[in-house]
Amino acid sequence: MKPKLLLLCVVAWLCWSCNDQCKETRVVRRFSNVTHSLMELRTQVKAESPRTLEQPGKMYVKGKYLYVNEIKKGIHIIDNGNPASPKFVTFINIPGNGDIAVRDNILYADSFCDLVSIDIADPTAPKEVGRVKNVFKTGLFDGGGWSLNESVGSITDQNVEWVTETVTVNCEENVTPNWWWNGFLVFADRAFLSSSSSASPQSSGATNGQAGSMARFALDRNFLYAVSQTQLHLFNIAKPAQPIDFTTINLGWGIETIFPYGNKLFIGSSTGMFIYDNTNPAEPKQLSNFQHGRACDPVVVHENIAYVTLRTGTACGGGQNQLDLVDVSNPSSPQLIKSYQMENPHGLSIDFPTLFLCEGEHGLKVFDVTDKFSIDRNQLAHFKDMHAYDVISLGKTLLLIGEDGFYQYDSSNPKDLKMLSKIPVGKAN
Amino acid sequence: MKTIAFLLLFLATTASYAQMGKSVRFVNHTEFGGLFGRVKYQNPYAGNSDQVDSKTSLTIQTFNGVQVHRKLSAGVTLGMDWYKAALLNPVAGGLRYDFLGRKNVQLFGTVDAGYGFSWFHDDPEGFSTKGGLMVNPGLGMKVGKPGVAAFTITLTYKRQEAHIEKTPLWDQKQRFEDRVYNRLALRLGISF
Repeated sequence: MKPKLLLLCVVAWLCWSCNDQCKETRVVRRFSNVTHSLMELRTQVKAESPRTLEQPGKMYVKGKYLYVNEIKKGIHIIDNGNPASPKFVTFINIPGNGDIAVRDNILYADSFCDLVSIDIADPTAPKEVGRVKNVFKTGLFDGGGWSLNESVGSITDQNVEWVTETVTVNCEENVTPNWWWNGFLVFADRAFLSSSSSASPQSSGATNGQAGSMARFALDRNFLYAVSQTQLHLFNIAKPAQPIDFTTINLGWGIETIFPYGNKLFIGSSTGMFIYDNTNPAEPKQLSNFQHGRACDPVVVHENIAYVTLRTGTACGGGQNQLDLVDVSNPSSPQLIKSYQMENPHGLSIDFPTLFLCEGEHGLKVFDVTDKFSIDRNQLAHFKDMHAYDVISLGKTLLLIGEDGFYQYDSSNPKDLKMLSKIPVGKAN
Repeated sequence: MKTIAFLLLFLATTASYAQMGKSVRFVNHTEFGGLFGRVKYQNPYAGNSDQVDSKTSLTIQTFNGVQVHRKLSAGVTLGMDWYKAALLNPVAGGLRYDFLGRKNVQLFGTVDAGYGFSWFHDDPEGFSTKGGLMVNPGLGMKVGKPGVAAFTITLTYKRQEAHIEKTPLWDQKQRFEDRVYNRLALRLGISF
């Protein structure tokens, strides 16, 4: 009888402890405030030994070199002479850096409130040659904002950290409370939050590099254009090493990208697309403002057609996931040609007649856009096994950046991309 | 985890078919009942204070096996458990062992171990429910004449794991839940 009694006791004990155990694990964004002294920040721009990609941001191409931004930390210089095996050359430490532009041997970069010019004639030993102070007042990195306090000479910054937290839940709530979604989506999308980049062939002269549909810097003749959240800054770079703060133009809220094409500047904001006439580069004039719903919208342009992507779940709110084709043959009155439904479009790049479109976690889509009314029926390929934020088409080569690294493809046959190399995040090549 | 479950299944079935040569006695034990438990959690709508709720779920299962010994039968248990936020199908290897009793009333031990699958669970968009390991040991009473059908009542402890991937909320980039159901299972059934 005894062992059975014991068994009964064990069963009874187990039953008394009949509590469901449900643990929900979340990776959550946390902000912490920090203050940086400008005096100290301005001593920190210097070349360092090459390091691995950690949180890659925008990319920029000039000649055989790639410049990949490490969000808020600096720029990787990568020798891409052989696309099959790119090599890290140097890392330029630039606190608060998000954007890049290169003309000849001078690299322009933002460093919180300052614009820094860096001589990269010798890519292994770049050095700071000029600085325009206190031109940008506020900014946003990965959802955390910073602002300039001129009277004290400091930057009030928010560090963003991803922390893992575990909470006990009731084992039931399987559906997300709806009000979270309809609410403020400001910090939702890493792709927009300055981590993204892309490029496409640009109109400017041969001595400039190529930036992308998400770039905030653009070069045209003697000027460097930089968009902040509310303004367009013009820097005179007649003397390339010594940029001069020339003028600023107020644009309104939510400015995201600038794309120069022909004599026009196409400026993407969270409410629409501004078109500026840039015939006189010292004095851009607003021609029109193409309004659409509230959404992020990288823009690329080829001839008379602007390709605009809108997506949801971004810092810009909005409820559409689509590719808009806009007729800009009359830039003072842009007209919608057609909207195409997409899944979650991010950056894009055009190498007419091929359009490369990043669909975030849904991969990369390739379209033939010869017939502007039936792009959806002319999808050449859909590569699903990758995460794609942004893309630069260089004709025969395609540069793609995603969550897990930086890829190069041979795109001589757009239907069948061949991977040349990959630089994974967190590992040196 | 799945391999363990299949291994158990395999062992249970081979154990039963090993006896095939002689006259094989087939055993069926089909039950339905409730899974009773509680959950203690931090209620985010009440300042994260602890809250305790009672839980009840419906369960059915059927054990099919062969008698390998005068007192022991082994086989495969298939079931269905309607938890509030998951519909799981445990597939398990099972044993039934008669301890003692008079001719009409028998005390028996029961144990099932395997894997709960979420084949029939329908997830809301953005969610993905996967099942997990299941163990279910306990005791039961069998009432009825030997050799013919008998009624059973069993009292067991059931542990079922599950994993749920969820859509991240606005400031999150990943969200998932590891769930362990610890339940008291009270079942009525028939056995023959």
